[in-house]
Amino acid sequence: MTRNLRILLGAASAIAIAGAAAAQEDVTITVWSIDGDDRPGPSDTFSAEFSEMDNGITVDYRVVPFDEIVNETLRAYATGNAPDIVSLDNPDFALFSSRGAFLDITDMVAESDVIDQDAYFEGPLNSVMWDGRLYGVGKYTDTIGLFYNADMLEEAGIEPPQTWAEFEEAARALADPEAGVYGATLSARGNEEGTFQFLPVIQMSGGSYENVNTEGAREWLTMVKGMIDDGIMSQDVLSLGQWDSTGTFNNGNAAMAISGPWEIDRMVEDAEFDWGVTLLPTFEEGAERSSALGGFNLGIMSTTEHPEEAFEVLEYFVSQDDRLFPEFGYLPTRGDVELPESGVPLKDAALTLFQEQLQYAQPRGPHPDWQQISKAIYDAEQAALTGQMTPDEALSQAQSTIDGILN
Amino acid sequence: MRRILSSLTDGKGFDLLLVGITLIFLILLAGLPLVYNVLLSFQEVDMFNLAAFSRPWAGLDNYREIVSQPEFGLVMRNTGIFVFGSIAGQFAFGFALAIFFMAKFPFASTIRGLFLVSWVMPGLVVGAIWGWILAGDFGVLNAVLQGLGIIDETMFWKSDPALSIWAVTMANIWLGLAFNMMLLSVGLAAIPRDLYEAAELDGANGFQRFTTITVPMMRSTIGAVLALGLIYTLQQFDLFPAITEGGPANSSNVAQYWAWQWSFRIFDFAKGATVSVMMLAFVLIASAVYVWSTRAEVRG
Amino acid sequence: MTRAPVPYLLLVLALGLAALYLFPLYWMYVTSLKGGSEIFASPPTFWPRDPDPSIYPETWARRDMSVYLWNSFVIGSGVTALTVLLGTGCAYVLARYRSAWIDVALFVILMLQVLPASVMITPIYVGFNQLGLLDYPRFAVILATAAKAMPFYIVLVRATFMNVPRELEEAALVDGNSRWGAFFFIVLPLARNGILVLAILTFMQAFGEYIYSKSIITTPAYQPASVGLSGFLGPNSTDWNGIMAYAAIYVTPIVAIFVLLQRRIVAGLTSGALK
Repeated sequence: MTRNLRILLGAASAIAIAGAAAAQEDVTITVWSIDGDDRPGPSDTFSAEFSEMDNGITVDYRVVPFDEIVNETLRAYATGNAPDIVSLDNPDFALFSSRGAFLDITDMVAESDVIDQDAYFEGPLNSVMWDGRLYGVGKYTDTIGLFYNADMLEEAGIEPPQTWAEFEEAARALADPEAGVYGATLSARGNEEGTFQFLPVIQMSGGSYENVNTEGAREWLTMVKGMIDDGIMSQDVLSLGQWDSTGTFNNGNAAMAISGPWEIDRMVEDAEFDWGVTLLPTFEEGAERSSALGGFNLGIMSTTEHPEEAFEVLEYFVSQDDRLFPEFGYLPTRGDVELPESGVPLKDAALTLFQEQLQYAQPRGPHPDWQQISKAIYDAEQAALTGQMTPDEALSQAQSTIDGILN
Repeated sequence: MRRILSSLTDGKGFDLLLVGITLIFLILLAGLPLVYNVLLSFQEVDMFNLAAFSRPWAGLDNYREIVSQPEFGLVMRNTGIFVFGSIAGQFAFGFALAIFFMAKFPFASTIRGLFLVSWVMPGLVVGAIWGWILAGDFGVLNAVLQGLGIIDETMFWKSDPALSIWAVTMANIWLGLAFNMMLLSVGLAAIPRDLYEAAELDGANGFQRFTTITVPMMRSTIGAVLALGLIYTLQQFDLFPAITEGGPANSSNVAQYWAWQWSFRIFDFAKGATVSVMMLAFVLIASAVYVWSTRAEVRG
Repeated sequence: MTRAPVPYLLLVLALGLAALYLFPLYWMYVTSLKGGSEIFASPPTFWPRDPDPSIYPETWARRDMSVYLWNSFVIGSGVTALTVLLGTGCAYVLARYRSAWIDVALFVILMLQVLPASVMITPIYVGFNQLGLLDYPRFAVILATAAKAMPFYIVLVRATFMNVPRELEEAALVDGNSRWGAFFFIVLPLARNGILVLAILTFMQAFGEYIYSKSIITTPAYQPASVGLSGFLGPNSTDWNGIMAYAAIYVTPIVAIFVLLQRRIVAGLTSGALK
């Protein structure tokens, strides 16, 4: 109601000022995201659709490579070339929202018929909040679980592990160095991917990104280090990303792999064995669960000259959330969107599991200096796993770095 | 006016014009960015003042913080290994190959030309290929070495902190070998044959001929090769993100990659600039070596 | 007792060394032909189980590579033209005299190379933005890349000029030529080979330029092939076959041109035209 009134008033005053001017010129909204470089993704598809509607708003869409999008946005923002809408990986969002570089859309959302703040999962919602205000919406989300080679487990008579102790036991039983088979694989890479997989372990042992030196985290590092030393896990987990480490699993060179739903399609195609997914193990049976929260958010830059129109574009994107999964294979950040079945049993089972896992997913941060915190965390993990420091030394060093950032 | 004109066509003005235009171009496109980075290293920078020149002054704070990072010593050590290892490897193998290809045999120059292929490959592509070759379990280097019986166990080139910096250095030697070999070949070709013949008649052996004729005659070439090699090695960036990302635990991190991480991973632009200004010291040495070597030049 | 076999032994040795050295190139082609998960096989397969050459046309079409390669060509040519235009005269003067000022100039030219492109890009971007050069992205990249290529070119072309006998130039001056005349009609033709070779090498380096292009050129229609390559690296997935196929397509024309021209390049470099 209020909004319509405002548009009406705006239109009226525009006409009044312009007098006999010709028809109002189209407003152009620029959108940046990583989608659409290799295959169609949501942002590029929805942008094109919105542009084609005859509503006086044109969307100018640009693909930015994943590795570059934060740099490009920072640089563009500093030089006054920022886009109107940008889509960022969720831990990077706070860098901008905390400094007011994203538009505070709390009030606009409150009045919107399309965007319902309450429908969002807690994790994705937290990652777009800063100081109690809303600066964006979740675009899509993902998380991690434990994939296992069901054939190998069955042959050895092992149930999918539910605790880390069972995980180690199973990995040791399944490893077969002669045949080039490792018991398990994961990613402890020296970048955000390492933190992505290690932070849930800290969280489920009672810690958080503010408090990393927990007993559970030390135990876990000792366990993984032992597995690497004994050849149960490849030392290359230190340099492989999740996609590559799961590639070795698909090839039958590892019996279990920690990774996320983005693996499913390739696994359905490539894996020549029966496989399954289970929740990320916990420290004790029934103990606290946690998992990583991945995925992207959308926000309107505060420098936009057309906040109303940009918000309309955002509303359109959100209104298409039910297409995210069937068309693009992404999980929506809201609980009120139904996921249709794909008809591939392995895939549907895996998705059900990941949806359950999402309830335990916790965001990284939000903190404006997230990347510094993240570096402290993955550096500690790597230092401990290479044996350069004991887990306690590594995590204490990370803790003191993090304390320096937080205070 | 006429004096200026005639100076432009005939006198010092002609020389100044030719050098001047180029130097102005370089100062605008390389000098100003350098100054910007030096300034940045003494300032506090964030996303709001990134494009400005005036920013809060930080004095030596950035330098102090960089030096007190736990990985600082490791990064400096790695930079040393990478730079000297790469240059030594490229130069030694390059020199050996250059001398080898001076021998007369069929297709010598064609085969030598094939070695230049590494020079024309984009760094990004070279990095991706070596990343695959050096992988522990599915890497071909391990498969070959194991097949030949040189190693028994899988070597984790990319993930073993004792090996990782050497793995990147190895890839960089491969990349820079062609450049060294070609320039050194050029230098060798310019040495008059009769000098060697005379020395042979005097009874000098191969090693003596090498140290008394080859090396002194090639002083300016060697200077240019080493100076350019040092600069190119310090600029070598593409291999790091593709092979080890400076890991594990910074065991293969070098100054140029670290500077990039500060600026573009952690978004602390001032610290990134600080590290890159510290690299100035290395290039200072390279430039001095080069200028010194040109003093030995004799114009033909 | 005859020495005839020696050259053939050397030939065999040379071929062996070349095969060893070019192995990474072979590995690129082989990897591009392997299946999605076969590349992770341990131990690796030396020949693809089921080679699939259709990946090349697929990648070519899917990535619109003709546009990317054309842009690489435009940027490479522009950088080469600018570098030769500005660098040759400068190198000539720096070779002609011997003084402390020349030392200073050489020193400055090398010192300006101190920073890697990854650190230079932020100030260059900011400056180009002020000047409005970002609206002409390929031209902006050419300017920035030429500044990067210049010192290498100057140092090596200077060495070429060192080899041109000074007496020839002086004779031309005595004959009534101006400095311009002597430079263009006497010195340049004599140094032609070296300049040509270094121009080709500059082109090949600029053809692979990545860091400036990826930040300055935002429109895909103007991006060079190196930027297109980075599009394969997603947040959670990496299309390795695609990367290798793309790399193969990208590198093959340069390598082919190079193999065709290499006799001239090598001859130009080693005939003593360059020192």
